[in-house]
Amino acid sequence: MPVDIDPNGIVGKIDHVVTTRDDRVRQEVGTIVGDKNPVTVSVSENLLEAATALNTIHKIVRHFYLLGKKTNSYFMLVQLQMLMPMIIQEADALVSAVDTFKLAQPLGDGIGAVIASRFMVGREKQTIARDTVLAVNEYKGRKLYVVKAEGPMAYVGQPGVGIRHVIEEMGVKPSAIIMIDAALKLEGEKTGEIAEGVGAAIGGIGVEKYQIEEVAAKHKIPIYAVLVKQSILEAITAMRKEIAEASDKVMTLLNRVIEEKTKEGDNVLIAGIGNTLGVSQ
Amino acid sequence: MIGSKSVVEKKQKYTVFTIEECPVCGQKTKREFQTGDYITKDGAKCTKCGNQTRISLIYAETTKPPK
Repeated sequence: MPVDIDPNGIVGKIDHVVTTRDDRVRQEVGTIVGDKNPVTVSVSENLLEAATALNTIHKIVRHFYLLGKKTNSYFMLVQLQMLMPMIIQEADALVSAVDTFKLAQPLGDGIGAVIASRFMVGREKQTIARDTVLAVNEYKGRKLYVVKAEGPMAYVGQPGVGIRHVIEEMGVKPSAIIMIDAALKLEGEKTGEIAEGVGAAIGGIGVEKYQIEEVAAKHKIPIYAVLVKQSILEAITAMRKEIAEASDKVMTLLNRVIEEKTKEGDNVLIAGIGNTLGVSQ
Repeated sequence: MIGSKSVVEKKQKYTVFTIEECPVCGQKTKREFQTGDYITKDGAKCTKCGNQTRISLIYAETTKPPK
């Protein structure tokens, strides 16, 4: 990671480092897999990421276990024991995700991509950023610019770069940006519950969120968010029925937001965020 | 007693289904997921009107209700 004392901002540097890493991983995985099929390569990339995360969990748990034993620190071991249920839950989720990745089934995290794909089917698509596509559609007199990662590969794309491209390079002036994404639910909340709000609905390390907020603030474009609640396990394994069934409700809500927040003749930018594995357009 | 029961939920078995929808008559057909399926892929001919269906959803459902 770049130094964080840079007064000029480090987001651009983080973006550069992450893009370089992604390029390198894709190239190396492609060489190892020896398959030109982009779905196979992207699935292998995701499998590698899951394996890396599991290995990191293993190394950290082992570190604290051995350190606790070495220093005869009861407290270190007790803390580790207390955290183990959550650690096991996360590790279990990653193990379960492996099967879903292998079969290239849509993930719970792909709900944003599912919604975006409904506006894109049968429309001409153009690539606007790395692994990111755009299609134009219409709804009740509004022109919809719909952005999502390119499926059915296991990509998340670069929605930040894509949205900036649409606004600054294509010269589109949207009256609203509407983002649809999966959101982590709290214990007690129901899977597939829908939340509506404002602000850039996107996770990750913050680069994409920054880019979207930056361009929206610069051009004074309001950002609306539609979120579908799910647990971490549900987000990285095959999409649950409750999440899939929420898609019709999201469409109704989305149409209402478009009608309420924009008027006929306006441009609206819709971004379906998330891993688009098993979801084409 | 807190420690008498595992806090980690028991694993549930899921089966993944594919929903094929006819864009003309709206007829939906549910079948088990097959490798190579993806959302928006063309499906089989509609059993009602004979038009080309399209995969509209793929989701996992519990095979048995949790006890």
